[in-house]
Amino acid sequence: MIPTLQPASASMRRTLPGGTPMRMVLGLLLVGWILLPLVPVLLWSVAGSWFAPAVLPSSYSLQGFSALATADAARAAASSLCLGAGVAVTATPLGYLGAIAARELPALPGRVVELVLLAPLAIPPFALVMGVNVALLRLSTPPFAGVVLVLAVTALPYTAFMFRSALATYDHRFEEVARSLGATTSQTARHVRLPLLAGATARAFFLAFLVGWGDYITTLLIGGGQLLTLPMLLGSAASATGNEQLTAALSLAIIVPPLVLLAALTLPASRNRRK
Amino acid sequence: MSRGPGSPATTGRSVLFALPAVLPVLAVLGVSLTAAVLQSLGLMPFIGPPDLSFEAWTGNTGELFRATGLSLYIAATATVFSVCIGFLIAAYVLAMPRMGRIVAALSAATIPIPHVIGAGAIGLLLSDSGFLERLLGMPDAFPVLVGGPWWIAAITEYAWKESAFVALVVLGSIARSVGELCDAAATLGATATQRILRVVLPLAMPSLAVSAVIVFVYTLGSYEAVWLLGPTSPEPLPVRAVRLFGSVDLAARPQAMATALVSVAVGAAAILAGILVLRRVRGFR
Repeated sequence: MIPTLQPASASMRRTLPGGTPMRMVLGLLLVGWILLPLVPVLLWSVAGSWFAPAVLPSSYSLQGFSALATADAARAAASSLCLGAGVAVTATPLGYLGAIAARELPALPGRVVELVLLAPLAIPPFALVMGVNVALLRLSTPPFAGVVLVLAVTALPYTAFMFRSALATYDHRFEEVARSLGATTSQTARHVRLPLLAGATARAFFLAFLVGWGDYITTLLIGGGQLLTLPMLLGSAASATGNEQLTAALSLAIIVPPLVLLAALTLPASRNRRK
Repeated sequence: MSRGPGSPATTGRSVLFALPAVLPVLAVLGVSLTAAVLQSLGLMPFIGPPDLSFEAWTGNTGELFRATGLSLYIAATATVFSVCIGFLIAAYVLAMPRMGRIVAALSAATIPIPHVIGAGAIGLLLSDSGFLERLLGMPDAFPVLVGGPWWIAAITEYAWKESAFVALVVLGSIARSVGELCDAAATLGATATQRILRVVLPLAMPSLAVSAVIVFVYTLGSYEAVWLLGPTSPEPLPVRAVRLFGSVDLAARPQAMATALVSVAVGAAAILAGILVLRRVRGFR
């Protein structure tokens, strides 16, 4: 997710116009722009009472988080987890197959496969869901399966792109060497291809998981209120007034697990690179 | 190794590989668009016999046009801000070694945040007597940002989330090449401003253009922020479509489908325009 950057060269350091103070101000403005929306979320999540015009809460409590300790919230968290996992487990292997096919097919059909895999990006998710909903109802698809199907299609462009860029720099000679040393096809796949593509697989899985974990509109329209996920709880809390603590606590409950997962995925990789 | 790319055996296997990925996409997209067109024309009613009617398309064109115009305004404004701020973040990250790394990490960390959370957060920040108004000491002249006439809170949410995306795309595409070119420009006497405008910006142009198209199409079809942070009326395309779709009045279904199809068409037109502009500007393929 985070691109590897080369350290700025001596003259690049002077690329920004203005002196040191201006660069400091710009840096602070950018950090402020990125972090400011998250400050009220953090404060509200631990606020007891916080009335205007106070800049900080007048008392602190964990009532927002304790409101999360209900059976409904636990069920919503489990649904979100299943949805994220379901989308990731579906879209990651399909993205891999699509990327392999786009690479190995002759130019024109390969291009067509690529375009088809990118096409879901062009359709607004709500429009995609509205049209397909009738068919899902007529086939009496369970809501969960319907949501996973539509979201897996939405996530395919991301997973396919991840594998596509990994395969672009993939060196097939490793596999050839393994084969000439007597490895079987499955041994080559397990001991050569799998480790080499592990990073891309993790990134693709993560992105697809996020599509399911954070989805609101597809769950709302296909689930029709039956499928309760964390974003659904958040949507109803945020659209009513006076639910600031719950909104903030739910936001953190949705943001933090993927960030922990991202850190777990990227930190070992960057440590390996440094070795 | 006899199985080079393009040999019949490889092609056959590749087609087999492509099918599980391509078929679900074609099925969902095909069924969705076909069903939307049929429903908008009354040919696929929820109950009762099909009855061809253009009512959904011609009945309330004024409202449909207004929703389209509003959606175009929101998407265009959000795209302009996302691209400008995203470029600023990228330029800063490239120029400042230590602080830049912090900004890059923070910016990338906001990307996994879902838009519905972003909308909730911007709501807490910008609403009436929200965090920003409190920080500024509750001035009397604080404008109505959430639910106000200019959709500022919704546009801010998109700009906040999507500027991080633009920065990521730009950094990913120019980080390798920009250093040496800036060094060369500096050796030839280019000032800092000239290096930004004549070296970094042109280099970033293709990735800025591509990400602008993606941001535009995404914000055009995004529901959460405009629903949570906008006024109840007038409605942009996604809000109108979802309201009509959920209406107890089944006659509203065709109108919901027409609204959804209009947003698909506008998005497709934006993508085509983007491709044409990119081709003309840089011989981009």
